[in-house]
Amino acid sequence: MSETTAREATATHCPYCALQCAMTLTTTPDGVRVEGREFPTNRGGLCRKGWTAAELLDRPDRLGTPLLRTEDGTFEPVGWDVALTRWVRELRAARATHGADAVGVFGGASLTNEKAYALGKFVRLGLGSSRVDYNGRFCMSSAAAAGNRSFGVDRGLPFPVTDLDDAHTVLLLGSNVADTMPPFVQHLAEARAAGGLLVVDPRRSATADLTADGQGTHLQPLPGTDLALLQGLAHVVLAEGLADHEYLAARTTGLAQLRPALNQWWPERVEAVTGVPAHRIREVARRLASDPRGTYVLTGRGVEQHADGTDTATAAINLALLLGLPGGERSGYGTLTGQGNGQGAREHGLKADQLPGYRSISDPADRAAVAAVWGVAPETIPGPGLPAVELLASLGRPGGVRCLWVNGSNIVVSAPDVAAVAAGLERLDFLVVSDFFFSETAAHADLVLPVRQWAEEEGTMTNLEGRVLRRRRAVAPPPGLVGELEIIAELARRLGVEGFTDDPREVFVELAAASAGGRADYSAITWDRLDAGEALHWPCRPSAPEGSPRLFLERFAHPDGRARLVPVGGPTRRPAPGPGPAGGLVLTTGRWLEHYQSGTQTRRVGSLAAARPEARLQVHPATAAARSIADGDVVEVTSAVGSALVRAELSTAVRPDTVFLPMHFGGEATANLLVEARTDPVSGMPDFKATAVTLRRPVAGGSA
Amino acid sequence: MRHALDVGDRLLVVGFGPVAVRLVDELLPEVAAGRLRVTVVGAEARPGYNRVLVGEYAVGRTDHEALELVDEPAWRGAGVELILGAPVTWVDRSARVAHLAPGSPVEEVGYDALVLAVGARANVPVLRGINPDPAAVAHLPRGVTVLRTPADGDQLRAVVARRGRVVVLGGGVLGLELALAAHEQGCDVTVVHHRPWLLTRSADRAAGAMLEAVLARAGVHVVADAIAREVVLHEGGDFAGLRLADGQLLAGDLLILACGTTPRTGVAAGAGLRVDRGILVNHDLEADTEGRVFAIGDCAEVLCADPTCTVCPPRRGRGPAGLIGPGWQQAQWLAARIRRELDSDPEPMEPLPSIESDVIRLKAHSVEFAAAGEIDGEPWESPCGRSVALWADAAAGSLAKLVLRDDRLVGFIALGLPRTAAELGLRYGDGAEVPADLSVLLRLDGPDAVDPGSPSPTATLCRCAGVPAEDVTAAIEDGCRSVAEIGAATRAGTGCGGCRPVLQQLLDRDGAVAH
Repeated sequence: MSETTAREATATHCPYCALQCAMTLTTTPDGVRVEGREFPTNRGGLCRKGWTAAELLDRPDRLGTPLLRTEDGTFEPVGWDVALTRWVRELRAARATHGADAVGVFGGASLTNEKAYALGKFVRLGLGSSRVDYNGRFCMSSAAAAGNRSFGVDRGLPFPVTDLDDAHTVLLLGSNVADTMPPFVQHLAEARAAGGLLVVDPRRSATADLTADGQGTHLQPLPGTDLALLQGLAHVVLAEGLADHEYLAARTTGLAQLRPALNQWWPERVEAVTGVPAHRIREVARRLASDPRGTYVLTGRGVEQHADGTDTATAAINLALLLGLPGGERSGYGTLTGQGNGQGAREHGLKADQLPGYRSISDPADRAAVAAVWGVAPETIPGPGLPAVELLASLGRPGGVRCLWVNGSNIVVSAPDVAAVAAGLERLDFLVVSDFFFSETAAHADLVLPVRQWAEEEGTMTNLEGRVLRRRRAVAPPPGLVGELEIIAELARRLGVEGFTDDPREVFVELAAASAGGRADYSAITWDRLDAGEALHWPCRPSAPEGSPRLFLERFAHPDGRARLVPVGGPTRRPAPGPGPAGGLVLTTGRWLEHYQSGTQTRRVGSLAAARPEARLQVHPATAAARSIADGDVVEVTSAVGSALVRAELSTAVRPDTVFLPMHFGGEATANLLVEARTDPVSGMPDFKATAVTLRRPVAGGSA
Repeated sequence: MRHALDVGDRLLVVGFGPVAVRLVDELLPEVAAGRLRVTVVGAEARPGYNRVLVGEYAVGRTDHEALELVDEPAWRGAGVELILGAPVTWVDRSARVAHLAPGSPVEEVGYDALVLAVGARANVPVLRGINPDPAAVAHLPRGVTVLRTPADGDQLRAVVARRGRVVVLGGGVLGLELALAAHEQGCDVTVVHHRPWLLTRSADRAAGAMLEAVLARAGVHVVADAIAREVVLHEGGDFAGLRLADGQLLAGDLLILACGTTPRTGVAAGAGLRVDRGILVNHDLEADTEGRVFAIGDCAEVLCADPTCTVCPPRRGRGPAGLIGPGWQQAQWLAARIRRELDSDPEPMEPLPSIESDVIRLKAHSVEFAAAGEIDGEPWESPCGRSVALWADAAAGSLAKLVLRDDRLVGFIALGLPRTAAELGLRYGDGAEVPADLSVLLRLDGPDAVDPGSPSPTATLCRCAGVPAEDVTAAIEDGCRSVAEIGAATRAGTGCGGCRPVLQQLLDRDGAVAH
């Protein structure tokens, strides 16, 4: 590892989303300067989140030392030895009293591959616990489950982003890329020029606006009805004879089972469920089928974060398969990964049911392979744990987790039903939170640990196209700060467990070995190759060391090489509107350009906070008028599980029966105070995108 | 004593339309687990299919496979017994046996519980030249047909294939859908309707008149307020034309009888069950007092024997809606009830809510029409709590009529306004609130609907980097001469690149002045 000297330019990637825009960091007397760097995914572009990322490196409110809660409930700075001694004592006590599964870890998809791997291994071997999951459960789990079910493998984009440059038709389902990953929009230029950007979003989002002036079509379904819309599109493709039957016969199975399911979703019926006119459904389906070469179907959280999210993603895949898109040279299906390492973190063992290399923790052969690398007997590795929402529900309960480490996640903002999550955290015997800043979750902790930021560490990330990237250290961390690898290695040492190193390069070597033969095989990837600028997409094995930029060209990952058409879609769930003249509305949540995730970082960046200082509930003017709500009024939003207080922002960009609240803010405006902990039965994904709510001005005059 | 299904009981489903299919689909896991035996008896030779799409099939827009609703291998694999081509002739409720018509694969089938999902049959009008017995539709003259099955559709399919002339008797939903589809596919089409305006049950006079104008403009010939008298045949017995009461002869290659449907109640009546327009069931879908016989779908009329029942829909004197949505809801509800009985779950089911999703949506490519609920009344009449809003533009062929009661949409008509129609359908369906300013719902199809206010400050020129226009202007004044230089100075244009053309315009305008 080379020490970086002042004024040296360091090539790395943005700390935020999965587009992982390339950037150059230069240390100057005024701090670290950020510049966009030429790279296929971002073409030198950055959004304002990326441009300002370095402002967080020297924030005065950055955590600098461990903080231990004292008897009177306040925090006191302590040294690392005191912190770790106490922590180890609590870990041992919880295990001795309640068993190994009483200790757990909640991880984050912003962590590097190395940290995700080490953390997953540490929980299984160091703590002997099955209780690990991560916030990627809230992000990619539905698309992942659908991808595995249909294709036999889950890689967000099974092709490089730049393949989209030549697309004439892109169906973008529930993804607001113009706000969430703006440089990505460059790849939609050709489709827009061809009039083929097809956006499905209940809001007239910034991305939906990209369809204006003949550049495409915006379909605006009622939130929670995406599945029906996709069934309708697929129905038209089948019924009008637009399906690619040669492809279906050669590369898929299940058409006979899918057909009866789709025949029930004619466009007029879909219209009655979604509010999208039947003729527009037909038009979009025909456009998609007009020339499969150059056509792509992409999904985002908007269609995946539902209690039927796996089925909805599956419906999108079914549509793509009927059109013959996946595995084509110039066509495909993909899901746009959200968090920076949303792809890598789920591959290396932060998920309750997985082992490194995207292996199943329930499969004996997978367990044996990983156990061999770890030098333990397979039975040493615990079985599957609990997916995030269940894990959080178990906190402090009999048989549940008593001692939790939250690493790289702000769950009292980002998890559903945060009031219940906060109560769970309070029930814990001991809560450790590691973060850069004193997050809303840290406020519940018994021990808060400061950690290093992206520009201060070495590692790898796996971007939305399954390409492994190097994160490089540009500046020295503030004195006294250690990274998670050091924390894990030291904890392991104190617990008397071997096999943990704090050197990220060594961890990567082990990770690559552990992944060998797995679905996400990294075994031919080395830091040297990455540092030499090679573009390596997994699987990357010694037998095919050039990696796999395009999956599925020859075969899908099921043993027979075929993709599965999986019938989905029973009755469509719709939130029931409440009674009375002040009728029910549907709340959908999402993101703003200016903020990232729970906002722990971006709310502390001056220019971003100035642009968007607080949450605003997007309300249609007609809906507001019926409740005597004016722009800027504080309103009370109430769901079955809670209430939020937030200022209203009137906009015709949202449907009159829908309100939108960004998920970046804490306190009384936390969107997830309203979202119920209802989850997808397959993926465990919460239902973030459609919650029945009512809206009114607070009774007491409404000052806030 | 009401019967509750036990594990291992046999459920007999009589009728094999889409509603029966949904019921069995919902129960498939129970059948596969050996908890319930299910036998389906269908009068037609093929498994249940999607009758809603028969019209699409009939005009050649789709094929047989698009009608399939049953994954037959999965059903048989789960253990569902299918008896096809076997009309049920009578049911012996005391012995709990259904008797099938002679020539069926078996003569009788026993049951522990019986679901009648026998649907409705097409009406055959009284006309000289044809036999009005609905049981004899198969014996209509060549070139005269109802449209209920794919076999019926094959006649129209052949005529459409050669762009023949089609006469449709009946200007209701089915008649208009077929007329428009055949016309869109290139046929010469005449619609004969016996009432003063089309879609008499779903449109008021104004909407009907405008609809007729829209059809006329599209090229569909409409003869309204006309009495049909006689089917005139060629020498060989083929259809030649339809004679009206005024003597006019409408010549054609095919006559489609789209004169409505009647619920099939014969078997139920024979079994001593209560029958009115349909088989009468209470709001738990029970047709008998024992809870062994149920009726769902087009054959069922939900109306409790108890006139004071508050769950059942108001007695509007209307039979089954003839729509698939309510039938599927009934099938799902009944399946849930059966599952609960098998689980011995003592918790009573929430009654099936009185179904308000009777939205009529004309399935046509060239005309957009939807209506539902109460459509009578005029804007200047306002009986207590009820109000009517009306918008009509005859030149554009668009009309919207909204009927509200206590601020809820209780009926509407929408013509030529597809997004408005879709939104009204949603609000009518679930009783959601309607904007106080109803014109919000009218403008959805207008050009301004796609240009809503932007949530970000208007002064921001580059959203991605958050750069206001004034910063760009200043950068140009400070000497930036290219988009790249502006980007380096302000970060504008460095994200999605969408504002680069605007930057170039500013450069072209201000840069020339500055330099």
